[in-house]
Amino acid sequence: MDEGEFARLQQAVHDARRPLNRITMQSELIKLALEGAVPKDKAMVALDKIIAGSKDCSDSLSDLVAQFSPQANGEGSPIE
Amino acid sequence: MLTVLLVDDDAEFTDVACTIIEFLGHEVLTASTLAEAREWLSKESFDHILLDFMLPDGSGLHLMESLQPERNTRVTLITGHPSVKGIIKDMCGPNIDYLVKPIQREDLESVLQGKKQAVSKRSTTAITRHFGQLIGESAPMQELYKLIGRVSKTKANVMLLGESGVGKEVVAAAIHEASDCEGTYVATNCGAFSKELIGSELFGHEKGAFTGAVGRKEGVFEQAENGTLFLDEITEMPIDMQPNLLRVLENKVVIRVGGTKAMPVNCRVVSATNRSMEEIAESKVLREDIYFRLAVFPITIPPLRERKEDIPLLAEHFINQLNEENGSQFRWQPVQLEKLQTYDWPGNVRELRHFVHRAAIMSDPEGTDIELPKTIESPFAKKQTLSTGLKAGRTIEEVEKELIYATLEKVEGNKTTAAEMLGISTKTLYNRLHAYGDLNSDSE
Repeated sequence: MDEGEFARLQQAVHDARRPLNRITMQSELIKLALEGAVPKDKAMVALDKIIAGSKDCSDSLSDLVAQFSPQANGEGSPIE
Repeated sequence: MLTVLLVDDDAEFTDVACTIIEFLGHEVLTASTLAEAREWLSKESFDHILLDFMLPDGSGLHLMESLQPERNTRVTLITGHPSVKGIIKDMCGPNIDYLVKPIQREDLESVLQGKKQAVSKRSTTAITRHFGQLIGESAPMQELYKLIGRVSKTKANVMLLGESGVGKEVVAAAIHEASDCEGTYVATNCGAFSKELIGSELFGHEKGAFTGAVGRKEGVFEQAENGTLFLDEITEMPIDMQPNLLRVLENKVVIRVGGTKAMPVNCRVVSATNRSMEEIAESKVLREDIYFRLAVFPITIPPLRERKEDIPLLAEHFINQLNEENGSQFRWQPVQLEKLQTYDWPGNVRELRHFVHRAAIMSDPEGTDIELPKTIESPFAKKQTLSTGLKAGRTIEEVEKELIYATLEKVEGNKTTAAEMLGISTKTLYNRLHAYGDLNSDSE
């Protein structure tokens, strides 16, 4: 992997970590709601955000695979 | 409570982080760009800045230039790149920390607590807790530690003697700690139970043994199996219950109230009383045979006035505890600790702890200065002025009043002797006490 590829990989990981951070923080919010420190309805919103965050993360991982696939790098399909 | 500035362009993250930071008891303001953060810094002062490494208008590091060094603001850099961690770590000064996303509540809690921990660590490291419990480096305490060390290696029962408030229960816990035994430490107060209930407390009871005994209960002897049983105020135990206790001490078996089965027990008994040995012997509050069973190794705990050099250590320890509990940052001034040493503390360590607590409540919670009350007033102790002697700025009347009260205290209130010592007539003394509002016509 050359430096350019490594920089792209770093950026892709950074993008994937962003939704993961949201998921973690929303989970902490749900814990607070269960402890009674914040209203329960916030927990419902947080759960929706976790689902959305998981999808974002999944998309980021798909992008990552796409970016580093042999086709994207002009190396042909490994199946063929 | 800290004032925190959170600088991050991820609105969803800042929203939840704010909720968590506020839940942790701090005040938080947010900025999504470097420009916004700079604007906040020009208007407000912050204890802590949580700063995203990558912001839309530049690196978070550029904000460092806007910080005023004298404010001693702590900065925690937030990054999503673990590789950046190494670079930040290298440039981390004493006031810079870092967090790598994803971030949890505990991460925020620990970085925000960093400042307070540093303060309390600095002030608590110097105080040693002997046997995990006792504080004091004076000669009487060194002697006490020697006795605890010796007796802990044996199975002997210990009787602790000492005035009220010297810390008998703390010494009992220290003996247990030093004994390295398997069982637990169980404490009970023999003066706290009625004649009817003390048997059940000590030896337990069987279901239906008496009205209200709805289930079987283990007594403290059973609970302290292979450990230490602390019997406080042993001399307050009803005298007619003492033969039952003697039987347990002699035979090492207990029979629960309402039961028939003798159960073997094995624990060290540490008892305590605030009566002197002479008083115990004269007042007959404790049977002689029980005394010799309990006081195989008697230890007298010194009163605080006999180890005044430990007062600053204890005062430091108590204020550190209060700082930790309340998030305050109080610190003693050397002159205040000297003042505390001039008092005799008839209520001993308990009175000192109470006094420190009272002083902390009176002081400004946002500051570090402790406001010391001018006098120590305890219903159980004689009023004593915290004066270290003559100082400029006091009136002759104030000094005269203090001298009169000090003389009266010395001669135990005998006004004729006090007047003689002061070189004034008894009539003058009475006139002065009248003027202080301390006498009425009946008392003359």
